[in-house]
Amino acid sequence: MSVHDEIRQFIIDNFLMGQDSDSLKDDSSFLEEGVIDSTGVLELVGFLEENYEIKVEDEELIPENLDSIQNICAYLETKLSG
Amino acid sequence: MTLIDLFKSAVNRFPDNVAVKDRRHSLTYKELQSLADGLTAFLIGAGFAHGDRVGLLVDSSVQYVVAYLGILQAGCIAIPLNTDNSRRNLDFVLQQCGVKCLIGQSRYLSRYQLWSMDISIICSDWSDALKKGDKGPGRGVIRWEQAIEKIPDVDAFPDLSNADLACILFTSGTTGEPKGVMLSHGNLVANTRSIVSYLHLKETDSILAVLPFFYSYGSSLLHTHLAVGGTVHIEGQFVYPNKALERMANERITGFAGVPSTFALLLHRSNFNNMRWPYLRYVTQAGGAMAPSLAKRLGDVLLDADIYIMYGQTEATARLSYLPPDRFVDKLDSIGKAIPGVELRVVDEKGHQVSPGQIGEIIARGENIMQGYWGQPEETAKVLRNGWLYTGDLARVDEEGLIYIESRKSDIIKSGAHRISPKEIEEVMAAWPGVHEVAVTGCPDPILGEAIWAFVVPEGNQILEHKAIIRHCHNNLASFKVPHELVELTELPKTTSGKIKKTFLRNEYAIS
Repeated sequence: MSVHDEIRQFIIDNFLMGQDSDSLKDDSSFLEEGVIDSTGVLELVGFLEENYEIKVEDEELIPENLDSIQNICAYLETKLSG
Repeated sequence: MTLIDLFKSAVNRFPDNVAVKDRRHSLTYKELQSLADGLTAFLIGAGFAHGDRVGLLVDSSVQYVVAYLGILQAGCIAIPLNTDNSRRNLDFVLQQCGVKCLIGQSRYLSRYQLWSMDISIICSDWSDALKKGDKGPGRGVIRWEQAIEKIPDVDAFPDLSNADLACILFTSGTTGEPKGVMLSHGNLVANTRSIVSYLHLKETDSILAVLPFFYSYGSSLLHTHLAVGGTVHIEGQFVYPNKALERMANERITGFAGVPSTFALLLHRSNFNNMRWPYLRYVTQAGGAMAPSLAKRLGDVLLDADIYIMYGQTEATARLSYLPPDRFVDKLDSIGKAIPGVELRVVDEKGHQVSPGQIGEIIARGENIMQGYWGQPEETAKVLRNGWLYTGDLARVDEEGLIYIESRKSDIIKSGAHRISPKEIEEVMAAWPGVHEVAVTGCPDPILGEAIWAFVVPEGNQILEHKAIIRHCHNNLASFKVPHELVELTELPKTTSGKIKKTFLRNEYAIS
């Protein structure tokens, strides 16, 4: 499974519980769609840290990095190449 | 005196001050009054009468404030609804209150399939809904713009008194069904004035409101600032704390209010510690006890701001006690003393005040105490007795009269800003095939305060698929009520009288 697919699957399994997954587009904002709350973001961070062996710094906890599947993929790419 | 009178007085004194601001819109007092007048005129014109219930299913936003004030000014009773909800719970509340009109955001009207309900629906973001191709808005749904453009005939607005009900706030009931706390204008005004006086709030104050307005703590932020001519900066979703902090610094915000999980998030996962807060005059914390280590860290970061530890209940409008900031260092674990206009006692089972050091129940008296639970006289009679509110919280008092919470009588879980009844979750989980017995309890969590743990016993040799049970919870409960942990046991530990030992479960599985 690609990184993109893994992220998508994680969001669907943990926040959408398998529902409405068709309407979740790569650039859908989790905030605007009401997909995720503050503890959800921390769960997402835990998942990224554990699965991709990275450390998400406090200042990186921003929507530009985490608010859509597209943003997470781009953020991960930067982290993993750095 | 009504909440509307307090607001109008601020409009007259500070018409050009910014009253409310969210990430998209900003309104001065004059502008806010004008839009609220429009909605009031619409509601009256549409035939909604004094005392009619109007639901509000809208995110914390400028629109929410316009709608709230418009409803109150029309003499109707506002029913602020939790946006993170379940259809089952919403149906209960809407039916129990006999809600005649619902002001809702398209996202929630669609999510909970409320478009076709047989009541008036005002869609607060019709154009967004259409843009997204939402099939929901159909005939009969009223557009927000249509509702607020009405030219008001102020003379037709009803005369209100302090005895009139202003809102009904729903809290988790110990029986599982939510209870509607009826608050009159007199209740709101009394609590607002009291909070304004001990926090020394004035027109130059501004607050970053991260707490939802459908809870009493969040709504008290709105009431107090609108009463003094201050500014409410609405940060509806506290998902990215750094964004909120940036705003707090840029807007030179003077006040901040949070529950323990808000501060845990700020201190553990944000830049809060490394930033400087020269404009922050005070912070308040309520909604459950903050861990002493967290409180100390907060004190270390905010050297120049006053920290108020507070205690209250929705049944008391919001606030009952506060710890004066100069006692924050030496009485960190105390909820302080009664706020102005409130009398607090700690009493034994016979109603006698306990001696210092002894444990009893906190009871409260004052003009802020609710009118009762909507449609539930038996539940009301359990907590309102002889002019006192029985809080169900057990506490002791020290020689100085400062109060310390020891435990709660009910086993309501405090997770984040939410109060959650384990009973409702247990009922939903027990309905899953193969579940023999279930016990739900709150266990300590560094961010949430308490996380929800469910202990499940399967029927016979049945294999329980945990993921499926959690999915079943998601389908039937608001997301914040879905258990964070699920532990399977062969039996639940019980007392000789058959009561489940939840403290044992907590200590044995979660804490160890």
